[in-house]
Amino acid sequence: MTTAITQNEIDAVFPKVAETMADALGCEIEDIKPNVSLIEGLDAESIDFLDMVFRLERAFKIKIPRGKIVENARGTLTEGEFEQKGLVTDVGMAQLKAYLSEVPADRFKAPMKVADIPRLFTPETFCKLVVQAQRDAKAGG
Amino acid sequence: MSDHFAAFSFVDRITALEPALRAQGTFAIPSRIDAFPPCLMAEAVGQLAAWVAMAHIGFRGRPVAALALETRFLQGARPGQRLDLAVEIESCDDEAVAYGGSAAIDGARVIELKQCLGPMMPVAEFDDPDALAARFALLCDGGAALDRFRGITPPRVLRESGEPGQAATGTLQVPVAAPFFNDHFPRRPVFPATLLLDAQIDLALQVAAESPHWPAKTRLTPVRMTNVKVRSFTPPGQVLTVAAQMRPPKGETATFMLSAESEGKTVATARVEIAPTDFQS
Repeated sequence: MTTAITQNEIDAVFPKVAETMADALGCEIEDIKPNVSLIEGLDAESIDFLDMVFRLERAFKIKIPRGKIVENARGTLTEGEFEQKGLVTDVGMAQLKAYLSEVPADRFKAPMKVADIPRLFTPETFCKLVVQAQRDAKAGG
Repeated sequence: MSDHFAAFSFVDRITALEPALRAQGTFAIPSRIDAFPPCLMAEAVGQLAAWVAMAHIGFRGRPVAALALETRFLQGARPGQRLDLAVEIESCDDEAVAYGGSAAIDGARVIELKQCLGPMMPVAEFDDPDALAARFALLCDGGAALDRFRGITPPRVLRESGEPGQAATGTLQVPVAAPFFNDHFPRRPVFPATLLLDAQIDLALQVAAESPHWPAKTRLTPVRMTNVKVRSFTPPGQVLTVAAQMRPPKGETATFMLSAESEGKTVATARVEIAPTDFQS
């Protein structure tokens, strides 16, 4: 069974995640707050997400398969349970809110396109991604 | 001769290939051209990686220049010399290829690329997938005809403002038509990111030459380029605003922050370190 990622685990990786993100986005490290929206708050574009994942893999010596955030967010739900015709289902939305617990509730707009999920992402989302990848690496190796 | 696989193609032959893992290749710089800028050496390494990546995914996608965390310029290359290319593929799938690589001349490394990432785009949008597959087979089996490349006159930045020796901003008018657009790419012409970087480096070198940090007439050269990020395609005819800003030098080296924008939107950013010609970082 997967145990929830703890705040201590997030806090442990946040400084290096913030440094890596600041490098990727060309901003000051002070701008990288745990809950700032990467797209709306820091003007990140799709190439920046690719860049951040690329750099995080190196900084933490982990592998982050592409699409991993949405896969993690889906939890135990099947793809069909999580989304229908590109829109997040009600049960999917509940799961997404639970996974992205750091994101204020008013930012989850219904109906939500799966393609718009990255608009919710924050540095803390990436901290969770790193922690999960570290756990996976430990379990696998 | 058709421009396709000639006007902006820098792999003559693939001499060794471990699919999806690594490859070696060659490119003979035609002796009749005037010069072969360092950015085209980087392009040659990137193109070898692109061939390996495209072949691995069955020519469904082609990578485009996007991220290069570090490029080290170790020596120049002259017309008539042969580049021996090598790439190591870190990962490759339908989404992106991550790789590093190098080029050498007569056994001496002239350029190194580390931690590069190219997102895959649908290949049919840019080129004929069957033609690419056939070309790859030719490169692996004996190689292409030499001396296809007829040289390039890279467009330059027209300086408009700034502070001599510190910073400069200007306009880069991307040509409306040029032979390289027929090769890069036949179905969707895109101004090569390496030519944009070449223009940005040239602007930084101009500013550096005005700086009192180095004695007058010191020959300066780019030694290292980091954090290259290309955000969007530049079509023929686009006008770019290009800027180079020098940071306080450290020792013999100064880092320039480079940017290119179009209509207020960032197209590409990078940093380049410039040092005297005999300096190696």
